[in-house]
Amino acid sequence: MPAMPLVRIPAPYRGPTRGAERVEVEGSTVRGCVQAVADAFPGFGEQVFDAVGDVHRFVTLFVNGVEIDRDAIDEPIEASDEVEVLAAIAGG
Amino acid sequence: MPGPSGDRLIRVDMTQQSVEITAFPDDWKLLGGRALSARILLEECDAGCEPLGPDNVLVMAPGVISGTAAPTSGRISIGGKSPLTGGIKEANAGGDPGQDLMKLGYRAVIVTGQPADSDKRYAVDVTAEGASVKEVPDCKGMWNYALIEHLAKSYSKDASFVSIGPAGELQLTGSSVACTDGDKERRPARHAARGGLGAVMGSKGLKYLSVETGKARLRDPANRKEFLARGKTYTKAYREGPQMFKHGTSTVVPMANMLNTFPYKNRTEGQSPDVETLDGARIVESFEERGGEMHNCMTGCIVQCSNIVHDAEGNYKTSALEFETLTLLGANCAIASWEDVADLDRLCDEIGLDTVETGAAIAVYMDSGGMEFGDAEGAKALLKEIAEGTELGKMIGSGAVATGKKRGHKRVPAVKGQAIPAWDPRPLKATGVTYCTSPMGADHTAGLIVNPGLPEEEFARASQESQLVNAVCDSSGFCQFLQPSLDDIRAFYGDLYGEEVSRQQIADLGWQCLQDEWEFNRRAGLTSADDVMADCMQVDAIGPQQVVFDVSAEIVAQAYERCELRDELFTANATG
Repeated sequence: MPAMPLVRIPAPYRGPTRGAERVEVEGSTVRGCVQAVADAFPGFGEQVFDAVGDVHRFVTLFVNGVEIDRDAIDEPIEASDEVEVLAAIAGG
Repeated sequence: MPGPSGDRLIRVDMTQQSVEITAFPDDWKLLGGRALSARILLEECDAGCEPLGPDNVLVMAPGVISGTAAPTSGRISIGGKSPLTGGIKEANAGGDPGQDLMKLGYRAVIVTGQPADSDKRYAVDVTAEGASVKEVPDCKGMWNYALIEHLAKSYSKDASFVSIGPAGELQLTGSSVACTDGDKERRPARHAARGGLGAVMGSKGLKYLSVETGKARLRDPANRKEFLARGKTYTKAYREGPQMFKHGTSTVVPMANMLNTFPYKNRTEGQSPDVETLDGARIVESFEERGGEMHNCMTGCIVQCSNIVHDAEGNYKTSALEFETLTLLGANCAIASWEDVADLDRLCDEIGLDTVETGAAIAVYMDSGGMEFGDAEGAKALLKEIAEGTELGKMIGSGAVATGKKRGHKRVPAVKGQAIPAWDPRPLKATGVTYCTSPMGADHTAGLIVNPGLPEEEFARASQESQLVNAVCDSSGFCQFLQPSLDDIRAFYGDLYGEEVSRQQIADLGWQCLQDEWEFNRRAGLTSADDVMADCMQVDAIGPQQVVFDVSAEIVAQAYERCELRDELFTANATG
């Protein structure tokens, strides 16, 4: 079976994914992968993108462990890549 | 090299106003902060005592790693029997007193007794030579900032202070203990806030404690080279990582709102229409025009999550304006502007109040019709009444439950008498299990789980593991916002004392801390009947999913049954 990008979901965002921590998706860009997760799990997309389709300020995106610039979410990625969505999850 | 040794305890008897310095037991060397406070209280405090009477014991204990070159490791635990919950309490703060006490080799200050004349005020001065008690009549009633400015004239510029404001002197159960931060201004902006320990300090007539380190140096680990290398590697990895809190916890506001845990109008809703004007991003944006910045609250911190906030004229207003404060004094009271919340934060720091408990109390007051929701000026006037000791002020200053009782109001979101923090137990049910079972009552820093997708059968384990990790973190001196894991902490301990600390040992340290605290509470008369979520959280639904806290008592009780150790326990990050 051909490799598919993996999207890692942070704990605060696992409500829409019903607890799923990682989701394999079809996607050729970071935006495409996140959208694929959103299509499979309604409610997830709003946690990453704002109303105009930009990444929320409080979300950080990584590809293979390296933080990417939010302008780079439409750049092509490899089928074997891992996309991670990160968000600050604590506050005192 | 043997590692730190010859540590001591400072025992202050406030009945006699005398001090004794005793040896710190060698077999307690891996006890610090919260675990040390718990052990001292279990062994030396009558759990059935009156919290504001002479038999309560007030503990000030830095962490195991404090006073060393480890990054972000100077947290201090203030402990005692809480007049708010009736059980054991540990409140944790940053600033420099923890670092300074440990540099002098003092593992804890233990304050007992009570002066015969409750009108007198005293101070304890700690130096390398020892400690002494003196009467400080000129400090009576002083607000915290004015107090520190006054003390700066007679102490060295490097001295650090632990103090109470008028709320603590009035022995109000919503009062906090202030610690000065690491900046040259030594602002009393770091508060061991939860549980009313300011009242315990006030009941002992103790207005402040000073620490002068003189020429004391950082503590020398047994494996010095390895310890320093570990700190460097850790710092490098941290700085190359996402640095989640580099703009402060206040920037968590929009995410929390999105998750329906930004409570509005006494928790009647989980989202606030004022999310934009309460977002910490507005604070960060203000830096460009007004000045202000992010800074570290304690010497050696690499996280720098604390903000210095200026007013429109460019003058200092407050610092450490955090997510919980923006929530409880902002959204929960329907106060829309972060600038008004900054004013309230400053007032709380000055008067010596827990912003969470005070915000919850004001919201209950508003909800009961005492004043309009959103009345920021009214809220500021209320805080000033607390300092003046009016009947209304004393009610608010005694917290949410006291306010609800006096007002005959039923919607009081609290567990074990302590107001629920911003992180709401309805969408975050595993965190609700922590609120029910933690020895501390409703305290998110005791074990925060932000995982709305977690299945119910995992709530108890998630809460227990988070409680254990955070108990170890709060015993170590590391800040929860550094987010160390148990593996990180035991590695530093190992280099500190030159002996390996196994996974089993570090897990046992955390579990024993919880056991000590649960035992204290049992002796204090708390039972499973106290492990109950506030009624309003079980009944009032919020969010598009209309969630309530509906976790059964059986599942809640499972958090007390020790789970088998698994890898995730040791790699999970402390978080609070």
